[in-house]
Amino acid sequence: MSEITGSLSTLALQKFKQDFWGVFSFWFIVLVGFVSVFAYVLAPDNSQHANQMHLSIHSKKPGFKVQMLSIPSSIAQDQSVIDRLFFGKKNPASEIPISAYRITGNKLLYTEYASDGLEGAEKELDLNNYQNFNKATFIKEQTFIFGTDKYGRDLLSRILVGARISFFIGFVAVFISLVIGIFMGSVAGYFGGKIDAFIMWIINVTWSIPTLLLVIAITLALGKGFWQVFIAVGLTMWVEVARVVRGQIISVKEMQYVTAARALGFNDFRIITKHILPNIMAPVIVISAANFAAAILIESGLSFLGIGAQPPMASWGAMIKDHYNYIILGKPYLALIPGFCIMSLVMAFMLIGNALRDALDVKSA
Amino acid sequence: MPNHRLLSVEELSISFISNNIGKEIIHRISFHLNTNEILGIVGESGSGKSVSSLAILGLLPKKVSKITNGSIWFNNMDLIHLESKKFQQIRGKDIAMIFQEPMSSLNPSMTCGKQVQEILLQHTKLSKREAQAETLNLFEKVKLPNPKRVFKAYPHEISGGQKQRVMIAMAIACKPKILIADEPTTALDVTVQKEIILLLKQLQAEENMSIIFISHDLALVSEISDRILVMYQGNIVEQGLVEQIFKNPKHQYTKALINSKPALDVRLKRLPTIKDFINNTINKNIVSAEDRNAFHHRIYSKTPLLEVINLEKTYFSKSGWFSKPDVFKAVNNVSFKLYEGETLGLVGESGCGKSTLANAILQLDKATSGSILYKGTDITLLSKKDIRTLRKDIQVIFQDPYASLNPRIPVGKAIMEPMKVHGIGNSDKDRKEMVLDLLEKVGLDETFFNRYPHEFSGGQRQRIGIARAISLEPKLIICDESVSALDISVQAQVLNLLNELKENFGFTYIFISHDLAVVKYMSDQLIVMNQGQIEEMDDADVIYRHPKRDYTKKLIHAIPKGL
Repeated sequence: MSEITGSLSTLALQKFKQDFWGVFSFWFIVLVGFVSVFAYVLAPDNSQHANQMHLSIHSKKPGFKVQMLSIPSSIAQDQSVIDRLFFGKKNPASEIPISAYRITGNKLLYTEYASDGLEGAEKELDLNNYQNFNKATFIKEQTFIFGTDKYGRDLLSRILVGARISFFIGFVAVFISLVIGIFMGSVAGYFGGKIDAFIMWIINVTWSIPTLLLVIAITLALGKGFWQVFIAVGLTMWVEVARVVRGQIISVKEMQYVTAARALGFNDFRIITKHILPNIMAPVIVISAANFAAAILIESGLSFLGIGAQPPMASWGAMIKDHYNYIILGKPYLALIPGFCIMSLVMAFMLIGNALRDALDVKSA
Repeated sequence: MPNHRLLSVEELSISFISNNIGKEIIHRISFHLNTNEILGIVGESGSGKSVSSLAILGLLPKKVSKITNGSIWFNNMDLIHLESKKFQQIRGKDIAMIFQEPMSSLNPSMTCGKQVQEILLQHTKLSKREAQAETLNLFEKVKLPNPKRVFKAYPHEISGGQKQRVMIAMAIACKPKILIADEPTTALDVTVQKEIILLLKQLQAEENMSIIFISHDLALVSEISDRILVMYQGNIVEQGLVEQIFKNPKHQYTKALINSKPALDVRLKRLPTIKDFINNTINKNIVSAEDRNAFHHRIYSKTPLLEVINLEKTYFSKSGWFSKPDVFKAVNNVSFKLYEGETLGLVGESGCGKSTLANAILQLDKATSGSILYKGTDITLLSKKDIRTLRKDIQVIFQDPYASLNPRIPVGKAIMEPMKVHGIGNSDKDRKEMVLDLLEKVGLDETFFNRYPHEFSGGQRQRIGIARAISLEPKLIICDESVSALDISVQAQVLNLLNELKENFGFTYIFISHDLAVVKYMSDQLIVMNQGQIEEMDDADVIYRHPKRDYTKKLIHAIPKGL
């Protein structure tokens, strides 16, 4: 018995592997995916939504260092480990940036950090409340690699946690668009005639509704939040998929192997799923990659306008919105860093789309 | 006649590069072209005939191909080392070319006249008015009917034969010294082909040019050429004068090429293939008239398997909102009977309605009126579900082996799938056994099971198509131009296979082709179709020997018969 050799997909994969930027983008996307899943494990600030605010050290430069006094939360922890790993600590320790401290007896005296050359107030903490006091766990020097945002939150943690939204919106929106788009497109393309005209009408109507308007409408109907955005973006994106699928099916339908399938007595469902769809996957995959990028951009746009993910949830778009007026205040990095993240992820998807398009274009010998 | 060398190719080797590995396609070929002669190049697909002609014109794709050795001399210039600017002056002016596909070689958004005029304006110093006059003159020369109309017509408004004439007019516009014709008639009907061949011959004599005529059809080439060059796998296996090659071929391959095509006067039991020639195992058994009569007597005494009664298929095309729709009858009042075990030949030129008829019988298209009785039941009235069951009994083998297999399904699975759908075999394991058996029957082996269609040659793919069709154990198989896309030697193998299968399994065939020679070889009864109607229907031999209708006579006359 012979080995299973050289299907068109294997050939495409071989070709894809030779494309440096395609492979590079693929690994970049895998990395971002990994980061977004394990964001709370990786982030220095693992409170839920990376929402640990320290107002006294707001909008600091990348690489800012400060001594941090962290006082464990007095509320009992009843969060499971998995929940904590994937959704962040619900009751994090309260953190206070300090500039100096001393211990006298059972008292910890510390000076709160104050920027711009001001002197912070000295406060005291009764250590009797904390049995297992240990200087090393209470007071640490913390470095903010990307600096802090305008609420004094760690920007790096926000970026890592925010990757989740950008990444998942891509997945959910593309998934929704694929399910609806492939179904509508194949029905329209395969059966043609009145069904085609009807579906094309729906497509044209959907296309004419601006995404923003649709999101606002859905938000009105379902309430604000990021799930609504996922659905809204998915609902606007299926039209493109449907158009592509329909066009492809109309041309593939005329191929002799489809006629052959009909002559062999296969039913319509089998012909569409087994004989047509696998052959038109190439353009669908390419458009999905583009849609992925577009979804990320739309979500950032919506968050920027304030109708996307709601605070305190971290989202790259919302981070730009929070900080865009810092650009002229000499702290552009607050908006630039999330902007750069959006750009690199979108670009990775675009590049992978290009590479896939080249790779899937296997001229059957 | 002064005979000096116009073009000579010496020791030419060409390599194609893929994945940085060069593969030599043409191996040190040498030939020459004299003034005032027609040189025919014959070979099957992949033999390198087109590649070598592209090399002469410097049109080889630069990135993937490379001339590794040799020289091409024309006018004391080595064309291989010519810079591209100088080449442009030669191309079109001294060496012109006509291509296989007249449909796609003309720009659809320019009128035919303009396209020819453009060439004249570019290469000569004629004024616009003179160029127009010259164009009309050229159109007359290539015998286009009503040149003035064609001048203003867009390519889609004229027929395929006329398009090829426009292409020829374009090619000879600048009075080239050499005209390269790469399969100029392959896409055309035989009757049109005949006219084009005559035209080329006449033009050659009038203009004193030399023609390189490339074709896969040895008989056709021998009708037009003075000298012939036979190519096989990148080598020239034989070259010489027409008579010598055709009457007295030396190389086995040439012999095979001549004899693989079904002969028109005798009916061999098995067509000889290239392998037969190389192994010298030619089976010269002839089906005698007596055998044939006895067989016919036996099958025609039964009740017919399929009866087509007054079948019509009409297409409507609407040009405007208020105008009446144009009615086009693709199949017009066709009736015939088909008996079990018979092979019914259906021959006609493109557009005569033979494929429409096949689709109607297969119920892939609904007929407009009339009925098709299969074993007594009218299949035009069946429900969608019943038709699906009927598909098991009536199968089809398609024309294009490249397009009729799903490129994403390995062939074994492709053959198993219909069996599964129609409930043949009990388990996948069972079916797999049957598929392996089938593959063997069509001359493939079990290593093919897991391979994908793109890994096979045309002939192999056609065998897979046949295996898939017979996997359902059908009664009736419609072969719609099933061998037209294959090389002659492969064609012979597939025809032999079809006949073997018929003997072993008792299939009934409807054999559709535009090639009268092939249809005649295969058929018991023969139907000649023209413009949707049956012109003539009788025993194949009777029709060939004593055609009654003018159309049939014309068709038979147009078959290239060689010398």
